[in-house]
Amino acid sequence: MNPIELTLGIMTAVGGFVDISQVVFAALAGSVFGYSLIWVFALSTVGIIVYGEMSGRVAAVAKQPVFNLIRHRLGLKLGLITLAASLLSTLITCAAEIGGLGLLLRYLTGAPYLLMAAISTVTLMACIWVLPFKWIERIFGLLGLLMLVFVFALTAIDPPWEKIAAGFLPQIPPSLSSKELLNFSYFAVAIFSAVMFPYETYFYSSGGIEEEWGPKDLRTNRITSIVGMALGSLLSIAILASAAQLFGPAGVGPQIPGSVALQTAIPFGPIGLVLALLGILFAVAGAAIETCMANAYSIAQFFGWIWGRHKKPWEAPRFTIAWVSLLLLSLAIVLTGVDPMSLVQYAIVFSILVLPLTYLPLMLLADDKKYMGKHVNGRLAKVLGWLFFVMIAVMAVAALPLFLITSGGQG
Amino acid sequence: MRRALLPLLLLAGCSKGPEVDLQYIAEARSLGFEWAMVNDLASRGKLTPAYVATMRESLREQLGTTASALTQPQSQYGNQIRALIAEPANAPAAKLRTHAGKLKQIEDSLESN
Repeated sequence: MNPIELTLGIMTAVGGFVDISQVVFAALAGSVFGYSLIWVFALSTVGIIVYGEMSGRVAAVAKQPVFNLIRHRLGLKLGLITLAASLLSTLITCAAEIGGLGLLLRYLTGAPYLLMAAISTVTLMACIWVLPFKWIERIFGLLGLLMLVFVFALTAIDPPWEKIAAGFLPQIPPSLSSKELLNFSYFAVAIFSAVMFPYETYFYSSGGIEEEWGPKDLRTNRITSIVGMALGSLLSIAILASAAQLFGPAGVGPQIPGSVALQTAIPFGPIGLVLALLGILFAVAGAAIETCMANAYSIAQFFGWIWGRHKKPWEAPRFTIAWVSLLLLSLAIVLTGVDPMSLVQYAIVFSILVLPLTYLPLMLLADDKKYMGKHVNGRLAKVLGWLFFVMIAVMAVAALPLFLITSGGQG
Repeated sequence: MRRALLPLLLLAGCSKGPEVDLQYIAEARSLGFEWAMVNDLASRGKLTPAYVATMRESLREQLGTTASALTQPQSQYGNQIRALIAEPANAPAAKLRTHAGKLKQIEDSLESN
């Protein structure tokens, strides 16, 4: 297998895990709770690997992207509710990414934020219009790997590795007050939700169909989903651990993406800072494309339109109008002056409400021998799939009350 | 988020005072320490000029928002936050840490009550 084939998984994961929300959220989690939330990243990574692999397998074998399944398995009414909720949560996320791009370009150049957000949108639009799907994956997946500077920075500050290792064990820090315990629970639910954002599977499975995957590609799918998602998780955990080491003891609770880049400036100076900002920029740009395309895929698949970037834009006109409009709508949200970091909090909570409705039809089809033949879920996929489904359902119930009680982890 | 929730809290007639302001005090403390970190690293040549200027502006802007969200602006912590905002952009890190440290003391004493 050619390593370059991993780029779909890398872009999906880097854009999914290390989007603007996760960058700030991982750093804040590390600063407030030290290493004790690492296990949530690790656990939810297993979850997204399970569902990512499943969605890729279903795309390769049954040629069904996730939103096709949602409509057929849930029926029109429930399907429409899922579509509406998912569109809203992903649109908010896309707007947050566009805002994030404006902020990041401002840190790099000093130019006005809104102008940079507008330029970013036009550039993304041109990239999606001109570049073949494979090249979109490669450019944004591979340039997002600049974020590996966070892993090197963590190594350079020589953190307490034994504490990081201990963080992989499920735990609740001892002696938390009831208020801190609620905050901890909110962070755990929000991290779980952000790692398992449903748009990742919409994008990944549609990408598999764009790349004309068949049963012969199942090995690629498995490796891609495991390596890609594990890489995204590694980057998030590195940001969390550096924050626990550098920000927590200094009394800093990072609230903006620019703060997170300080982690690499401390050991490596201006070069580390610029690499970190560029890495976040490409990861966030990947996330903006991923969210915008995921929404366009969802709408087109739900209503049975012709879709895909493997077609010329004018060969799939309604699909093209959908992704162009979604990007412009996201920019319009940013131009209202709303804080992108506030937007993202709503997206995280809203998306967890959609998660059960996204993953249930996927589980049902991957379990169906009639469609999947010999590639039906094995025992491990079945057990893990249902286990994570139960966790997602519990969190979907807890998310909104926790969000309100803790003021989004602030209080 | 805080800004989005504030009108709801006010509309609901929720309690005013240090308890409600605690999250803003914590936020201002964090911003003060962060500003100090930026100035410290900038003085050692570890940051780029565009980044430093943007971060300082952004931190000051957020401090302004935090100050305006306080339900008791004429309090000890309100004064401390205003003193922090009044510092010049390139204020010495030690001075910024002193303000942030005082906010931390207030935060800790309110939390222990």
